[in-house]
Amino acid sequence: MTSSTLAHTRPPFYRDTRTIAILLQVLFLIVVLVSGWFLYNNMVTRMAAGNTAAGGALSWSFLSQTAGFGISEGPTFRPEESYSRAYLIGVINTLRVGIVGVILATILGLFAGIARVSNNWLLNKLASIYIEIFRSTPLLVQLLFWYVGVIAALPTVQDAADLAGIGYLTNRGMYLTWIYPSETGRALTWWLLGGVLVGLLVSWLRRRQLERTGVPGSGALAGAAAFVVVVGVGYAVAMFTTAMPATTNYELRRGDRGVLFEDLNGNNAFDLNVDRGLAHVPITLFDADGQVIATGATDGDGAFRFVDLPAAATRIEWRTPAPLAISEPQRQGFNFAGGISLTPEFTALLLALVAYTGAFIAEIVRAGINAVNKGQWEASRALGLSTGDTLRMVVLPQALRVIIPPLTSQYLNLVKNSSLAIAVGYPDLFNISRTIVNQTGAEVQGILLVMATYLSFSLITSLFMNWYNKRVALVER
Amino acid sequence: MATDVHSPSWVNTNHPAPPQRPPASEVGVLGWLRTNLFIDIGNSILTIVTLIVLYYIVTNLVQWAIGAYWTPIWVNRKIFAVGLYPTAQLWQPALVLLMVSALFGVSAGQWGSMIRGLGFGLGVLLLALALIPIGLEAQLVMAGSLALLVVGYFIGARLPIPNKLLSIAWILSLPATLILLLGGLNFPAWGISWTFAPLVDTNLWGGLMLTMLLAVVGIALSFPIGVLLALGRRGNLPVIKYFCVGYIELIRGVPLITLLFMGMTMLPLFLPSNWGNPSQLVRAVTAITFFSAAYLAENVRGGLQAIPKGQYEAAEALGLGSFDKLRFIILPQALTKVIPAIVGQFIGLFKDTSLVSLVGLLELVAVGKAVIQQPEWLGVPGGVAKEVYVFVAFVFFIFSYGMSFVSRKLENKLGFGKR
Repeated sequence: MTSSTLAHTRPPFYRDTRTIAILLQVLFLIVVLVSGWFLYNNMVTRMAAGNTAAGGALSWSFLSQTAGFGISEGPTFRPEESYSRAYLIGVINTLRVGIVGVILATILGLFAGIARVSNNWLLNKLASIYIEIFRSTPLLVQLLFWYVGVIAALPTVQDAADLAGIGYLTNRGMYLTWIYPSETGRALTWWLLGGVLVGLLVSWLRRRQLERTGVPGSGALAGAAAFVVVVGVGYAVAMFTTAMPATTNYELRRGDRGVLFEDLNGNNAFDLNVDRGLAHVPITLFDADGQVIATGATDGDGAFRFVDLPAAATRIEWRTPAPLAISEPQRQGFNFAGGISLTPEFTALLLALVAYTGAFIAEIVRAGINAVNKGQWEASRALGLSTGDTLRMVVLPQALRVIIPPLTSQYLNLVKNSSLAIAVGYPDLFNISRTIVNQTGAEVQGILLVMATYLSFSLITSLFMNWYNKRVALVER
Repeated sequence: MATDVHSPSWVNTNHPAPPQRPPASEVGVLGWLRTNLFIDIGNSILTIVTLIVLYYIVTNLVQWAIGAYWTPIWVNRKIFAVGLYPTAQLWQPALVLLMVSALFGVSAGQWGSMIRGLGFGLGVLLLALALIPIGLEAQLVMAGSLALLVVGYFIGARLPIPNKLLSIAWILSLPATLILLLGGLNFPAWGISWTFAPLVDTNLWGGLMLTMLLAVVGIALSFPIGVLLALGRRGNLPVIKYFCVGYIELIRGVPLITLLFMGMTMLPLFLPSNWGNPSQLVRAVTAITFFSAAYLAENVRGGLQAIPKGQYEAAEALGLGSFDKLRFIILPQALTKVIPAIVGQFIGLFKDTSLVSLVGLLELVAVGKAVIQQPEWLGVPGGVAKEVYVFVAFVFFIFSYGMSFVSRKLENKLGFGKR
């Protein structure tokens, strides 16, 4: 019938959707390529006219050149080192503030979010005020407020605020008492790492055993115990087997400062990069009459310095330190020495990022908890669980499924927002990349490098959080 | 008792006990206190601890606010509002405000819902500014805008104004604003030069005006790009799809500040040398637009995904072509669904515009920084940084919180986001 004639009438090729699709894509590709070429061409022309120091349009050779600038914090960096290492320090600094920030913001957000669903009216409203204020104002304003308004207004080093004996708060930063592995405790890091591994293993075994026997509980306690045992053994081993190096020597300068080191080349003088400074060793200084004039300890690089000595020191003695040394901040002239110090820039950035992101995380946690069916609360109440147990064992594990995807993007936001460090001068990767660009003129390369770094952070975080999300996802039959 | 004979024996014929008042601990102020603050021991402890913390915070805050030195903000109120815009030409931004208020009023009357909420907020703000003695002329402008807002509302509510006309008016208001603020049109490269007032260089624009302008222009320009990107990502043409995915993920993966610096330093490089260098404002707006487009695309994609497949199929069954299908069936529904998300994005962008202070534009935060540096306040013990930043934060807070409040109210009313 008619169908046989219809089957053979095909639309003309220019009305065939498949052809149109291909043509459209080809057209699109041409437009993209032409405009890309146009932009690139302009750039090359202008850069050639502008005569930038970076050489050609896209030369990466500047990375191995000498940086020539110092970096105020992070791992030690000397101006003689290369731009690529300077950038690496920036990446480390970004990760430093990013990782600490993510942990603290999660804790703050979790508490604020739980407070937001609390049936205590006052606490609920307090959390809500915190969330609204910090979510509705720009992070940059908060950062500048913390940095210029709060930290710069703290007392000076001379009349530093005492933090109940654990440290000092000044406008030059925060100084806290800290525990460092000393010269004899160098191996402790490995014991610590081993302890973590053994702890994880034991807790996993214990959990499996508990699951088999059907006893409620987690393996966390057994794991923690294993960790403590391993670290304790490590400490004892370090204490009884490690001694000071036989070639311990010291160099004393200007009667009040110097360095204690292991004389590796045996020339009785300290050579940077050859001899090894001895960290956190207790020392005593004597003057020419053999009188004790000061006692103290070396710092992490083996150096020591004392101010206001009654007389010039001529000789020092050292004792074998315990594997772990407690280092207290002590006022030295216009600054503090010892302990751990957080610069005003780091502190301000951390505070701002944590307070800001915490508010967003709190809303996510609240939404997640609200997403858990009310019947779950009632059921666990009926089983006799307390509110805390209900939250911990019933509600939060279920809420986690809703919480994790938006939480991931908040973590990424925190890391991306840490680029605001440039507003306060914290040397994060973006700030350092600007310094490099300003010195070399490698504008395009600098931007590409920064973008690639942030994109890889995003990728790694997303991969990890996706893996975690799969772990907590609902396992359906 | 007379009916007793008819009732079955198992009916309780005694009168029910008279209703008793609930115990005093369950109702009224006491009952509220008990259920909300002191339901059990743990809760009571929590309440008391919170009270102590609250007392500490509030007393310190009040003490600080009373002792704080607010003069710098009051003295510099003009700079906070419009930056270095020439004082003699302030009638131009005033005209913009009047125009936007009138448009807002008419749209609020016509469209209601969220626009009405936002218009109400604008009205309250205008009223407050008209009452505070910020300067007679400014107050008159605020009062005039308020009047236009109210009159516009009633006109919009009573007269049937075509939606299309109103939308076109809104779209045209953007170039009108720019021309008004500039004082004319000036493109020497193309031989266009028409002015009605001395031209105002964009570098002089600043303060809250610039903050607003950046956010509004950023969202408005990124809207078409964002919709196209979302459609491209949802479409089935692989080349276009991967281009859109790549663009969106690249932009979303990097901080805005890298894009701003890129715009500032690299945008001039990308243009032919005979075009000259675009002004800093144009560079910042370009960066913000490209940034915002990626986020907008993701929001619109969410809306597109929420459209049931049946809508597509029904449109196809009606014989609509791809373009008509999108134009009449899909996009109207998808865009309505994502209005709350776009308002949220606008709030985010409004806050993010503060970053342009780092690349040399004089918006609110940059004005704040400049005010802190003024030599007059050097003698103030402790400096004026706290006061200035608290004020700047407060201005941002009013707008962001106001907008999110209205948006949330609307969401609750329409049942968006309800599970």
